[in-house]
Amino acid sequence: MNSRDQILAKLKTNKPKLIDLPLIETSIFRDEGLDIIKEFIKKVEVVGGNVLEVTSNQDVINKIESTFTNQEVCYSHIKGTQGFNTISLETIQNPHDLENLDVLILESTLGVAENGSVWLSDQEIPVRVLPFITKHLAVVISKKDLVEYMHEAYSRLSGFNYGVFLAGPSKTADIEQSLVIGAQGALSITIFLKQ
Amino acid sequence: MSHSELASIFNKNEKKVDWHDKALWFVRHKRDLSVHEVKGWEALRNLGHGIKAHTLSNLDNYLIEFEANAIKNDIQVHWAADGDEHNRIVHNIIKESNGKKVVKSKSMLTEECHLNPFLEAHGIEVIDTDLGERIVQLAKEKPSHIVLPAIHKNKHEVDKLFQEHLGTKPCDGDPQYLTGEARKHLRQKFIQADVAITGVNFAIANTGGFVVCTNEGNADMGAQLAPVHIACMGVEKIIPKQEHLGVFLRLLARSATGQPITTYSSHFKKPRKGEKMHIVIVDNGRTEQLSRPDFRTSLHCIRCGACMNTCPIYRRSGGHSYDATIPGPIGSILSPGKDLKKYSSLPFASTLCGSCSDVCPVKIDIHSQLYKWRQIITKETPQPFVKAQTMKIMGQMFSKPSQFERVGKAVRWSLRNLPKSVINSKLNTWGKARDLPEGPKQSFDQWYEERKNNQKD
Ligand code: SF4
Repeated sequence: MNSRDQILAKLKTNKPKLIDLPLIETSIFRDEGLDIIKEFIKKVEVVGGNVLEVTSNQDVINKIESTFTNQEVCYSHIKGTQGFNTISLETIQNPHDLENLDVLILESTLGVAENGSVWLSDQEIPVRVLPFITKHLAVVISKKDLVEYMHEAYSRLSGFNYGVFLAGPSKTADIEQSLVIGAQGALSITIFLKQ
Repeated sequence: MSHSELASIFNKNEKKVDWHDKALWFVRHKRDLSVHEVKGWEALRNLGHGIKAHTLSNLDNYLIEFEANAIKNDIQVHWAADGDEHNRIVHNIIKESNGKKVVKSKSMLTEECHLNPFLEAHGIEVIDTDLGERIVQLAKEKPSHIVLPAIHKNKHEVDKLFQEHLGTKPCDGDPQYLTGEARKHLRQKFIQADVAITGVNFAIANTGGFVVCTNEGNADMGAQLAPVHIACMGVEKIIPKQEHLGVFLRLLARSATGQPITTYSSHFKKPRKGEKMHIVIVDNGRTEQLSRPDFRTSLHCIRCGACMNTCPIYRRSGGHSYDATIPGPIGSILSPGKDLKKYSSLPFASTLCGSCSDVCPVKIDIHSQLYKWRQIITKETPQPFVKAQTMKIMGQMFSKPSQFERVGKAVRWSLRNLPKSVINSKLNTWGKARDLPEGPKQSFDQWYEERKNNQKD
């Protein structure tokens, strides 16, 4: 017998009698008075991100250009902002070529109020390494795309090949428990909230 | 060496022990604040427990379902009966892709299998990319905590290590500067890597995908750049459906560090274009643990570390005193299942206060399992002579109240009158590093009688 069959056979013999799978009753977790938008903003700040309200994609670009001045390598994947880009993804042969990316703008269609995370999948990230390798990350999301809890978030997710719930900038407290923002991933994240 | 012997080494540096104790208690406190914000937290823990219990009771079928879906997603699936086979599989994949340089994100399983020394012996460079793990790797040590691998090191030790290995400037242990330098060093490694290895936090049977959680972004920096991604998982990492992630991702980070979620919860399902993705499913003693009704729920563990942060023994003895890949309360119920003799002192490294079971997000009854292991160990492994004899004498004494009263009187007198050198002699382990209280003149019984009589008056 190969290891696969051996392991499966042992599991079959050693497992207990079938125990029922509990149902997830999401209503017990719901806090009726919760203001989703306020909670989302609060949690983004808890996890170390910034939130700005915007009216249009151009407004996003304007705000970024005034916050992050003199950035060399910039890429935006939101509509109507090609003028912002200093690189073209078509000419990128290899994800490693994105090493010097300074500012990246992506769009998300799902944000979670209870933890300040935004969902980014293959549909929103043209090259998977982008949100990790960039120095500064900006994510644009509509208020209508925010949900309260992870349970609702998962009920909306299907059909992706890769995706990440991203909450705040990369961080570590591995040296004497002092929190340092900017470990191996992005150094900052700004969430732009659209109507 | 036994847990208490190793703990006494850690205890030599009292200042460090104090810091370690307080730092971990602070993390436990952050956990409390965070979970109290969640409505229905206890119901969420019950769900975590229930989903895991169900999954274990059908684990073979879920693994088969997971494998079939993963293959559909273009992931290659491998099975390893033990650590050696796991290491050989990983090495073969690296060899086939002509890999020389590997970056690895946190995976307790690869620690358990001793993958790094195996690959290094075959001329492969393995870099641990989690900052804490990189620190202990440079120090040629093992992680002392599953979430905070370098919690036993202070910033000055890190400063010195980095000067020596990364050529940094002396900085009086400035965490910001040191983290920045580590970032530069690791970026280089990510760019050069041929293969990325990651652990797996959850593998989803009905999609064939898996989730990896990090705060630093190191798992993705590795996996999204290297042409080959190998994910290693124990058989117990399976959950039935994607919707169950909603439960576990809500539980995990809050229990671990008090964050509402880890910075990155990455869902891998299909390799990117031109990339190869492998999953290695490992047993290494897990199927055996499943066969033990008293101990099988230890396989529910989602490796949050909360039981370590809260444990009064762990906080004061340090992770290395457990001499096992998984330290702390959960390690003390997992390790005896692997080697009863080697780990026979671990279930005794507990006050049985039950704090571990209280914080465990998947409600493992850790402290009752510690107690059950004690019963087995006392029967099956030889006990030290003094302990065995004292227990025998104590047993006889407690069974006869008149004798107990007589002995009690003698002890109270001795505590008041004998010199310290006699009271704290070698035979009395309670006198180690602490003074015993002065013996009271009365026993509780006498005091109670007297009180009753006084009340009558
Ligand atoms: S036993 Fe429970 S508390 Fe301890 S690490 Fe595992 S899940 Fe966390």
